[in-house]
Amino acid sequence: MSFDALVYQGLIGVSLAMYLWLLAAGLTIAFGVLGVVNFAHGSLYMLGGYFAFTFYLTLQMNFWLSLVFAALGGAAIGSIMERFFLRYIYHLDLAYQILLTFGFVLVFADAARIFWGGIPLIPPMPEIFDSTVPIVGRPFPVYNLFVIFFGIAASVLLWLLLDKTSWGETVRASASDREMAGALGVNIPRLFTVVFSFAAMLAALSGALGTPVRAMTPGIGTSVIIDVFIVTVIGGLGNLPGAFVAALIIGLMKAYGVLLFPDADLFMSYLIMALVLLFRPKGLLGGR
Amino acid sequence: MAGKYELNRRRLLQATAAGGAVLAAPFIRPAQAQDPIKIGAQGVSSGSHADYGRQIQMGARFAAEEINTKGGIMGRKIEILYRDDELNNEVALKNARYFKAQGVNFMVGTDSSGICLALGPVLPELDLIQVFTHAATEKLTEDLVFKKGIKHIFRGSVPVYQDAILPALVFKDNKDIKRIANLGADYEYGRTSWAMFHTTLKEYRPDVEIVGETWAPFFTADFTPHLSALAARKPDLIFATPWAGEAVLMLRQATTLGVFNDIKAWWQCMGGSVDVMEGISRDVATGKFKDKLWATARYIWNWPDTAENKAFVGAFSERWGRLPNYSAECTYSAIFALKAAVEKAGSVRTADVIKALEGLELSTPAGKRVYRPEDHQAIYNVPAGRVTYNKEVAPIAHLTDLKVFPAADYYRKPPFA
Repeated sequence: MSFDALVYQGLIGVSLAMYLWLLAAGLTIAFGVLGVVNFAHGSLYMLGGYFAFTFYLTLQMNFWLSLVFAALGGAAIGSIMERFFLRYIYHLDLAYQILLTFGFVLVFADAARIFWGGIPLIPPMPEIFDSTVPIVGRPFPVYNLFVIFFGIAASVLLWLLLDKTSWGETVRASASDREMAGALGVNIPRLFTVVFSFAAMLAALSGALGTPVRAMTPGIGTSVIIDVFIVTVIGGLGNLPGAFVAALIIGLMKAYGVLLFPDADLFMSYLIMALVLLFRPKGLLGGR
Repeated sequence: MAGKYELNRRRLLQATAAGGAVLAAPFIRPAQAQDPIKIGAQGVSSGSHADYGRQIQMGARFAAEEINTKGGIMGRKIEILYRDDELNNEVALKNARYFKAQGVNFMVGTDSSGICLALGPVLPELDLIQVFTHAATEKLTEDLVFKKGIKHIFRGSVPVYQDAILPALVFKDNKDIKRIANLGADYEYGRTSWAMFHTTLKEYRPDVEIVGETWAPFFTADFTPHLSALAARKPDLIFATPWAGEAVLMLRQATTLGVFNDIKAWWQCMGGSVDVMEGISRDVATGKFKDKLWATARYIWNWPDTAENKAFVGAFSERWGRLPNYSAECTYSAIFALKAAVEKAGSVRTADVIKALEGLELSTPAGKRVYRPEDHQAIYNVPAGRVTYNKEVAPIAHLTDLKVFPAADYYRKPPFA
C-alpha cells in the first residue's frame, strides 16, 4: 500500500473520529457528572440529524442556523429527559437507568418514524462544501475537512469551558464529589439538568453535522451507539481526553482496517476494547 | 330495563340464527367456506430498511383488496396479517409460529437472504407454503428446494442471478472495464452476489482483474472508509450491494469523495428500488453520478410497457400515493399466484397448492411469470438500466437505456452443478 493511500485513508479516519468524538464527549460527560449511562445518546444523535434536516431543507434555513437550532433542540429534549424522568431514578440500581434510557431509544425511534417516515432523509450538500480539494493527488471532500476542523474547534471550546470557567470548575467539582459540592452551595439538581442537556446537545450536534453525508433513518441511533460505547470504554468512562484519544483510535482503525484488513476490520474495535478492559480497565488515560 | 330487554332480544336473535344454522348445516356446503383465507406477510419495518416492510404490506393489502372486491378466492375473502421481522432470524421464526397459531393458510414476504435460509427449513414442520418475495440468495431455491427437496418454498421475486449475472452480461462488451472492485453488504446476499458476478464476468473476460474488496455490515452509517479504500485501487467498475437507505447514503458519500470522476461505471444492486430512487433523485438531477450509475431491481415500475403494468402502477400510486417498489409488485403478484393455484387445485391444502404452483404460468404487472417446477423459482424478465432523471417521465429518478436479457437464458438451471 502506497504512502499516499495511507495519508488519504488516515484523513478519512480522522473525520470519522470527529463524529464519534462529539458523541462520546456527551456520553462521557453525562456519566462523569451524573453517573448516567445513557443508551438513548445515539437517539439524540438521530434527533439532531432530523432536526437539522427539517430546519435546513423543509424550512429552508441557512445551514449554520440549522446546525445551531438542531443542537438547541437536542438540548431541550435532554433537559426534559433529565428533569422529568432520570431525576426520579438516581437512587435506584443502575439497571433501571439502562431500562429507562433504552425505553427512550424505542420511543424516539418510533417518534422519528411517525414524524419523518421510514425513508432515509438526505438533504442536498450545502453549496460551499460541494467540492473537493486535491490531497496526495486524489480529490478529498471539503466537507470532511470541515468536519475535522469542527471537531477540533469543539474540543478546544470544551476544554476552555470545563477548565477555564467557573462553571466548568463547578461541574468538575460535582463530578469528583457530588455531596461536598452540594454542601458548598452548588444547586446539584439544576446542575444535573444543565449538564445532561449539554451532553444531549453534543450528540444532536454530531447528528446535525452528519446530515449532508449520512442519511437519517429511525434506526441510526442504535447503529452509532455501539461505536460510541466502545470509544468511551477505551477512553475510560467519564474521561474526556480519553474519549478524544479513543475516538481517534477507533476512527483511524476503522479507516485503516477497511484498507489493510478488509476481512477483519469489524472485529478490530472489539479486540482493542477487550485488550483495554483486560489491561487498563479504567481506560487508556484512566490510570490503573 | 331497556338494556336488559336489548340483551334478551339479541340473545333470542342469536339463538334463532344459531338454531337455523344447525338446521341448515347439511344443506350449506361447507359452512366454513365463508371463513377468510389468511395470508401472513413479514418484512423489515425497522431501521434503514423499513420502507421494504411497508412496500410488502402495501403490495399484499392492495392484492387482497382487488381480489376481495371481485369476490375473493372461491368465495372466500383474503385477510392479510403483517409482522416486522426486524432483520432478525429469531424474530422471523417467532413470527412464522405466530402466523401458524393464527391459522394462516400461506405466507409471503421476507426481505433478507439470511432470514429466508433460516425460515425455509421450518416450513414443512409448520406445513405452510411461503412465497418469498424479496430475499434473493440462490441457496434458497438451489439448495433448499432442489437439493434438499423442501417443497414448501417458492420464490416469486428474482434470485441473485439477476443482481450478479445480468451485470456481467451488461458490461462484458465494455473493454474499458478491466479493474473491478466490490463494496459488499457483509452477509449472505452481498457475498454470494459478488462471487457470482466476478466469476461470470471472468468467464467472458479473462482479462478483468479484481483490485479491491471491502465489506460493510448492516447499519453502517459511514461508507467513506470503504469508498476511499477502493478508490485508492483505481477501479473501473464498482459493484455495490448495500441496499435501501444504506445505498442512498453510500452513493452520496461516493459523490462527495469524487469517486464518479474516475470510475467508468457503478453497478448498484437493487438500486432501481423506489426508496433509493427517491433518495438519490436530487443528486441524479444535478448530474452527480455523471451518467455512470447502473442499477436493477426485482421489478421496475417503468417496464414492461404493457396495459397490465400501467394499470397496476396507476391504481397502486392512487391507492398509496407512492410508486410501487419491487417488493410491492412481487408480493402483489405472489398473492395472485396463490389465488391461481388455489383455484386450480380447488383446495387450500398445502400439498395440493404446492402441486398447483409447480409450473404455474401467470400474467403479472412485471410480465409473464412461470414457476419453474424443479426449484420453485419464478422466471420473469427484469431489465437493467442507467439511472436518470426526467421530471416529464416521473417525479423521481428512474432507469433508462434498459437492457433486457431473457431470464430463462441466463438463470442458472438445475441440477446446479
